[in-house]
Amino acid sequence: MNTAPEDPRVTAYALNELGPDERRDFEAELAESEELRQELHGIEQTLAALREELSSEAGPGLDEVRRARIRAAVAPPKPKRRLAALGFAGVTLATLAAGAFLFVGTQRSERDAVSLDEGRMGEESKSKAQAFAAPVAATAASPGDRAQDERAAGKRFQREAYDAFADNPFVQVATDPRSTFSVDVDTASYSLIRRHLTDGQLPPKGAVRIEEMINYFGYAYPEPEGDRPFSVSTEVGAAPWAPEHRLLKIGLKGKHVAPADVPGTNLVFLVDTSGSMNEENKLPLLRRAFSLLVEQLDAVDRVSIVAYAGSAGMVLPPTPGNQKGAILGALERLDAGGSTNGGAGIELAYKLASEGFVKGGINRVILATDGDFNVGVTSQSELVDLVEQKAKSGVFLSVLGFGSGNYNDSTMEKLADKGNGNYAYVDTFNEAKKVLVEQATGTLMTIAKDVKIQIELNPAEVSAFRLIGYENRVLAHQDFNDDKKDAGEIGADHTVTALYELVPAGAAPVAPGVDPLKYQGPSAPTGKGARGELGTIKLRYKLPQASESQLMEVVVRDARSAESGDFRFAAAVAEFGMLLRNSPHKGRSSYADAARLAGSAELDERRREFVELVKKAEGLAPAEGR
Amino acid sequence: MQSDQAKWVMDALSRYEAALLRYAATLVDRAEAADVVQETFLELCRADRRAVDGHLAAWLFTVCKNRAHDVGRRARRLRSLEDGDVNEAPDSGPVKKLEQRETLSRVGAALEGLPEREREALRLKLDAGLSYKEIAEVMGLTPSNVGFILHSALKRIQREIARDSDLPLHAARRTS
Repeated sequence: MNTAPEDPRVTAYALNELGPDERRDFEAELAESEELRQELHGIEQTLAALREELSSEAGPGLDEVRRARIRAAVAPPKPKRRLAALGFAGVTLATLAAGAFLFVGTQRSERDAVSLDEGRMGEESKSKAQAFAAPVAATAASPGDRAQDERAAGKRFQREAYDAFADNPFVQVATDPRSTFSVDVDTASYSLIRRHLTDGQLPPKGAVRIEEMINYFGYAYPEPEGDRPFSVSTEVGAAPWAPEHRLLKIGLKGKHVAPADVPGTNLVFLVDTSGSMNEENKLPLLRRAFSLLVEQLDAVDRVSIVAYAGSAGMVLPPTPGNQKGAILGALERLDAGGSTNGGAGIELAYKLASEGFVKGGINRVILATDGDFNVGVTSQSELVDLVEQKAKSGVFLSVLGFGSGNYNDSTMEKLADKGNGNYAYVDTFNEAKKVLVEQATGTLMTIAKDVKIQIELNPAEVSAFRLIGYENRVLAHQDFNDDKKDAGEIGADHTVTALYELVPAGAAPVAPGVDPLKYQGPSAPTGKGARGELGTIKLRYKLPQASESQLMEVVVRDARSAESGDFRFAAAVAEFGMLLRNSPHKGRSSYADAARLAGSAELDERRREFVELVKKAEGLAPAEGR
Repeated sequence: MQSDQAKWVMDALSRYEAALLRYAATLVDRAEAADVVQETFLELCRADRRAVDGHLAAWLFTVCKNRAHDVGRRARRLRSLEDGDVNEAPDSGPVKKLEQRETLSRVGAALEGLPEREREALRLKLDAGLSYKEIAEVMGLTPSNVGFILHSALKRIQREIARDSDLPLHAARRTS
């Protein structure tokens, strides 16, 4: 055995750092070797000498003034001056931020060292609760649904606004063989659900949008061929919750864009600095998230920052992306205080975006907020109009949602939807990394806009169908060919997945049929592709700078082959979503089944987390709902 | 909950303030060290306890080190703005160490003569009482790296003590 002088186990032994087994082995060697015993003795003597030397330095602890500051920060006295509290908020945020550290804390008087107290936050929250009362009340939820939502949401989330919506119903192919909807690449719903479950509560039903849950995950779809901005692929398999039904999965994949091919980027960060943002999971997290994004930029890129809270102000004029110090410094100067005027902030942000407009590049306002637009004349519809109009000028909007407690999910989703943007909810630093770094090109670089999907089903094969999720993306059939009608965007590398549950012709009907028509008979089948074709998918999209749409068509056939791992995983996510929504169509769904089904696919870290969340929800769900 | 958090922070303060002050003083001026330690605990006040529990010591020393480096960077920037003389040795550099050396004990001199990494690891182990794992976290190393560094530091000091036998073994107790 190695008893050479450089054996570090001697020191580890003397410092009691060996594990039990190593220790036993070492002691056995020690008994055998005089050399080793001497070595240990020498080390022990040196250690004793060092301990003696170091203890001679023992000095007093921290002085009383600094001690008092720390005590005040952790157990804040009632603040006498509101300004003092806000000032301190700025200091705490500056110290938390990564990068250059501004040593302002020590120059402040002790009296400033108070934190925001309960009373002030309570007051602010109350006014927000009033502002949100309207959207919450104006939902289509039944009283029973709402009671469940309130129980599920618990006290902590009672001020959050989620629009309730009903699941898409089954449609008889004989009555209406078409289904039309707009793509949606948002992923916020999944992060919101994760946050609720991690906090030990089932999410409110209104927060569960199944398409956003499915689209949170990536799927292995083929790269598009030729000039197409995205590929379309389909797969048909059994619906796990209703094995007599078939499940059609439609997958779109935006083309890959190498970072070098990304044209200049013109970003305007529009940052909510209202008082409610002064929480660990809001402004500090946002700052770290933006720092990550800024790291990706270089000299051709432009970054501006607008803060809004009470009044809106420019924090950073358009600045080249390689001046990271200036940008990060400006991010650090943001501090939370005041109430929100999102309207004025958005206008200023769009003004800066048009000043720094990069032709053919990425021009985008990135709004980061907990969703408060309740000061001034702004109504939600005016804001949405403004955002929609600006999107036409080529400046798109992305929304990053932060925090909890008075989070306004419905406003955020509408803004991003109308602004040709995407909407993500950032609950953790990992989520920030996913949205802003790993998917930076997808989040920012739109490769196809106003992407609409229309599917026509073949009555010879399918008697009824329903679109799973996309409830607030459903379009009228005539909107499909109307290029003036706005729809969703696809970014570079984005995948979009949609699921249809199909009732095969001949299977038991899922809903009572309607009476036959009095004035006309059923239209006769054309006989085209009568057998074997489930239906035809048509897609319309515009290239980012175009105003005229292009059409793609894909015929769907049921190969009756074994389901792929991606298929099983997407089905498991849909099943989980239906359970959380207590969907009338959940059939034989169970949390255990969803976990098993997901677990049968190849799992990366995110998918493994999904399986954990399903198990967590199972533990929280009432016994009859599992 | 508020008072729990307060108790937790104040307990951590009493337990680690002295060792943190001494550690910070090896990285910045003594006067600045108090500010660095204050900032470390202010940051702890705002920290999510769940994220810190279980590795409190490593967390405190890591934050302290980062804050000290921030101050150090700022100080160096100011200095280079003031005189632009880059040949001037920084205050924690070897020149100053050599001047002080005469007043030190043999052990103290040996300690000062160690490479920075070894000195830092020894201090975190013997003064602050951190485990190999915690030291590894603070210094961005693996625990077995830490074991090698500490062992090599102790061997070096052993040799130095044996060589500089003209100095007293231990310093007289200071009462600063």
